Amino acid sequence: MQQLEPYWGRRALDFVDAIEATDSFAGVITQFEKIIGDLGFHAYIMARIPTAGEALAEMTVANGWPAQWFELYNRENFNAVDPIPRHCFNTLNPFEWKDVPYDRERDLAADNVMMRARDFRLNAGFCIPIHYDDATSAVSIAGERPYLDAETKSALHLIGVFTHGRLRALARPTLAAPARRLSEIEAEVLRWAARGKTAWETGRILQLSERTVRWHLEEAQRKLMTKNKTATVALALVNGEINL
Amino acid sequence: MQDIHVVRKDNRHLYEGYFDPYFRLRHEIYVKQRKWMALDRPDGREIDQFDTEEAVYLFCIDNDQLIGAMRAVPTVMPTLMSEIFPYLNMRGPIHRSDVYELSRIFVIPERRGEHAGPRVDMLLLTAIMEYGLSTGLTGFSIVLESWWLPRFERCGWKARPLGVPHMMDGMSVLAVLVDCDEGTWTTLCSQIGLSKPVLTWRGLTGVNRRSLPDISPRVQPTAQQAQ
Repeated sequence: MQQLEPYWGRRALDFVDAIEATDSFAGVITQFEKIIGDLGFHAYIMARIPTAGEALAEMTVANGWPAQWFELYNRENFNAVDPIPRHCFNTLNPFEWKDVPYDRERDLAADNVMMRARDFRLNAGFCIPIHYDDATSAVSIAGERPYLDAETKSALHLIGVFTHGRLRALARPTLAAPARRLSEIEAEVLRWAARGKTAWETGRILQLSERTVRWHLEEAQRKLMTKNKTATVALALVNGEINL
Repeated sequence: MQDIHVVRKDNRHLYEGYFDPYFRLRHEIYVKQRKWMALDRPDGREIDQFDTEEAVYLFCIDNDQLIGAMRAVPTVMPTLMSEIFPYLNMRGPIHRSDVYELSRIFVIPERRGEHAGPRVDMLLLTAIMEYGLSTGLTGFSIVLESWWLPRFERCGWKARPLGVPHMMDGMSVLAVLVDCDEGTWTTLCSQIGLSKPVLTWRGLTGVNRRSLPDISPRVQPTAQQAQ
């Protein structure tokens, strides 16, 4: 059941709100790396799991693995013997790397992959399978000593699924250009905030009352689903809704 | 030819003959097949406290046979989320006349997957959007298993999480809010090859509803969907 203060639960929900309002691939990745970093994960991969004859490199949605590990993994075709992607086909639920089923005595190839990963400080990990009708994908994250308990795993499940979904949605060509969410005056007010002006100062510059400026700031915040003025300015800059 | 019928208190009498088979099918699918044992009842009918007069059902009927269905319950009345799973919702209770909670979507096994014509599950998802748009709904809340999320995302259903997933009997479950808007509906229609509204509103001339337009064909992007 819920603890009194589900800190990571709240952070995960805020994260999903933020990436849904982020229109750039890089913007989503930056936020993803930050939040999993805060939980002790320094590496990740998001990919469709290759089946026989397919190469991981072609299926990758986002690659946050150490370059040499990715290179080694592909060169040795570790995907064929890695127990992690294999288990994704057999389960709906996320799982820790340490709990992945394989015969630790007999399946030497699988054991080898897990051991070689440790050379790159991928000591512990968490994998989120993502099932489609015609394919299985996964988000797999790893670190040296990540913080994994029931609460953080639940938060990571949400974070993984929605990040993957957002990146896929962004990769799909849209027929129309994404509409600007902010109105002209909202963008103008944010531009001045980005330059460090207070609401009062912005009011003087634009010849509006301070109350009106605050109103536009709150509207912008509501549209971008951010929590405060700083976050609103940051997101508007990342999305290109305002430029300095 | 399968039709999707709107069934609500105003026209329920026209569909009385379908209700017993409907509850028995729910038992077959949710208790026998999916093993949601909390729903088990000795009379072999799966019916709960949310199957009230205010519930709206979509019945997919083909040749007088019920082959699929879905339920929508007003959030101004008790819902699964408010009564049974409040801890799944961290954003605060939803009691809005323009939001309904969806549940109990199913298709009978023989009619699942690809057959001639659109998939029945996709048809139901499209049809409930049509129902929502026609009656002024802006969103749907749902308590569902996490594996639905990528499927929603892929077909254009914008689902916003209301809380984090919880493990229940080995299933990962969470609560979401899905937007009900024209953009989502037209995207769904395009995906399954529908060019106009599909719902059958028998005996519902008294119900206030907006009639939806036919959908003009759009050029689909040719880039690959799956990766």
